[in-house]
Amino acid sequence: MADAKQAQSELVPVTVLTGYLGAGKTTLLNRILTENHGHKYAVIINEFGELGVDNDLVVDTDEEVFEMNNGCICCTVRGDLIRIVGGLMKRRDKFDGIIIETTGLANPAPVAQTFFVDEGVKARTRLDAIVTVVDAKHLPARLADSHEAEDQIAFADVIVLNKTDLVTPEELDAVEKRIKTINRHAIIHRTQRAALPIDQVLGRGAFDLSRILAMEPDFLDGDDDHEHNEDITSMSFEVAKPIDPEKFNAWIGALLQEQGPDLLRTKGILNYTNEPRRFAFQAVHMIADGDFISEWKGGDPRTSRIVFIGRNLNRPKLRRGFEGSVAD
Amino acid sequence: MSQTEKAEFLVETRGDQRALDAFVVAARFSRDGRTLAFAMGDGTVRLAPVADASGDWISVPVHDGAVLSFAVDTNADGFISGGDDGKLRRLGASSAISDIAGFGMKWVEQLTTHALDKGKGLIAAGVGKGVHLFDETGKKLKEWTHPSTVTGLVFDTKGKRVAASHYNGATLWFVAAKTDTPRKLEWKGSHIAVAIHPEGEALVTAMQENSLHGWRLPDGQHMRMSGYPTKTTSLSFSKGGKWLASSGADSMVLWPFFGGGPMGKAPIELAGGDGINCTQVACHPKEELVAGGFEDGLVVVSDIASSRILPVAPPGHGPVTALAWSPDGTRLAIGTENGFAAIVDFARRAG
Repeated sequence: MADAKQAQSELVPVTVLTGYLGAGKTTLLNRILTENHGHKYAVIINEFGELGVDNDLVVDTDEEVFEMNNGCICCTVRGDLIRIVGGLMKRRDKFDGIIIETTGLANPAPVAQTFFVDEGVKARTRLDAIVTVVDAKHLPARLADSHEAEDQIAFADVIVLNKTDLVTPEELDAVEKRIKTINRHAIIHRTQRAALPIDQVLGRGAFDLSRILAMEPDFLDGDDDHEHNEDITSMSFEVAKPIDPEKFNAWIGALLQEQGPDLLRTKGILNYTNEPRRFAFQAVHMIADGDFISEWKGGDPRTSRIVFIGRNLNRPKLRRGFEGSVAD
Repeated sequence: MSQTEKAEFLVETRGDQRALDAFVVAARFSRDGRTLAFAMGDGTVRLAPVADASGDWISVPVHDGAVLSFAVDTNADGFISGGDDGKLRRLGASSAISDIAGFGMKWVEQLTTHALDKGKGLIAAGVGKGVHLFDETGKKLKEWTHPSTVTGLVFDTKGKRVAASHYNGATLWFVAAKTDTPRKLEWKGSHIAVAIHPEGEALVTAMQENSLHGWRLPDGQHMRMSGYPTKTTSLSFSKGGKWLASSGADSMVLWPFFGGGPMGKAPIELAGGDGINCTQVACHPKEELVAGGFEDGLVVVSDIASSRILPVAPPGHGPVTALAWSPDGTRLAIGTENGFAAIVDFARRAG
């Protein structure tokens, strides 16, 4: 109870690091850990880690995913993370943040959902961002042979497009374009040996409702770019008129219920009718979270925006639904 | 516990308390009742002399990291400790430390012991998916593996069986079996704690989805106990097994294991009503009394039959994480997440 009221700043930030084997995940992790930033991190790595991780507090785990018995068919969580976070809290004063490295083949959904679903984890930690490392040379092959590579890109808030020295500038542009087709809303950093400023990876606040859609690189830019015919795409919509909260809830509730397994991430900022504050909303599959955040600024247009990243997205249907939430 | 007791907190009048400045992971009295140990998140164990609790408490560094699991030794005066440094260690009352086993980077999260006749005993440690069984000397007897990480571990009253909870149910292992064919109790989902009825009538687990699941052991019949607002992390059967006390609601929830219960019976709720969740329960070793600790630090003892509540420790010390009765039931040990630790002597005259 008291925990739920804890200030956001007291919650331990958690960064999730995903990426295929060999993409440079461990290189990035070791960079984060050895950089002179004065912070200490607890690192949760999987049993099949590729290289050694040099850190005082490393926890070796076996990714244990289970389905919640809560009537939500796509609600899977990582039981090992629930246990490990509980264990780490017994020495909370020994670290400033947690970094979770997933296996190369991992679907990020169960990791993310753990931070929404488990009340004990929620009371003590906050998901900061999902960071995905991809290998510029081998990504096309990975996308061709696995769902997971695509899922990892789709879930990402930050994408580290690594090993750019192994491809030509044309190949690099092509691979970046493909990434954007899947997830137009992640921030992409081109790197060699995973070198980039650490503040581009940590402290992103990507799941912080007050910052939802605050860092969109190119909202509504380059829509309908389907030349690669990716399985996963992202779509964004805007409406200028105020939204009726009841209509919106009815629509989004039914949509998440019906198409939850296809919807990897959903984010929105809404202009509710007769409401000076902005309403922020996010979901990972069917699990949604929303709250009022700061007021609309005087000069800014009060535009409601929503973003979907997922499979089988039907643009006209989604647009009709969103526009149907407008207040009469 | 006289009837004239006012609503004052017993820890003030009959207790010794300390601020230990680390997370209290567990509290245990040695089997001879002479030493009280608090196992801490900073890797130390603090030893308090029970007969002279106002005297010096000794701090012994046992783990490089946090203590994650803690139990009384099979002998009269020691303790066994498991840490996030992968070590399973023995701590004597004289503060001597010795290694029983090491598990590399794996956490020793579960631990249970059982004292048999003639100085013999058993130590079972849950490390990842494995349970390692040792004799009283620390000699390894067996190793059992499970389909997923072991989340709870307990001996039955006679030390003949060990129950381990994990994903999709619990496993009952027979300690003396020549071939290890366990009894598997299955129920889909994540089971996060386990308790065995003292007469062997039932095995109960706590589940991720804020409920308990039970199996009646003679016939395998399932039992569902639900309605908790949060997860149950602490389970305790009363002496003789008439009641199962549990945390996870804004009261202590006690399920009746008699008269056909718990199926179709409502539990009783003790010390509830203020919206603060119960985090720890501990049934008294001799009487039908139960101690409960809450999220705000409040600790009470309740007489189960009359529902009468005795306030023991006031709110304000952080979530209660440890409660333990001395073997003779005269003393209660209390520990919280914020490092508050206390021993309350119910036999001592107030003053």
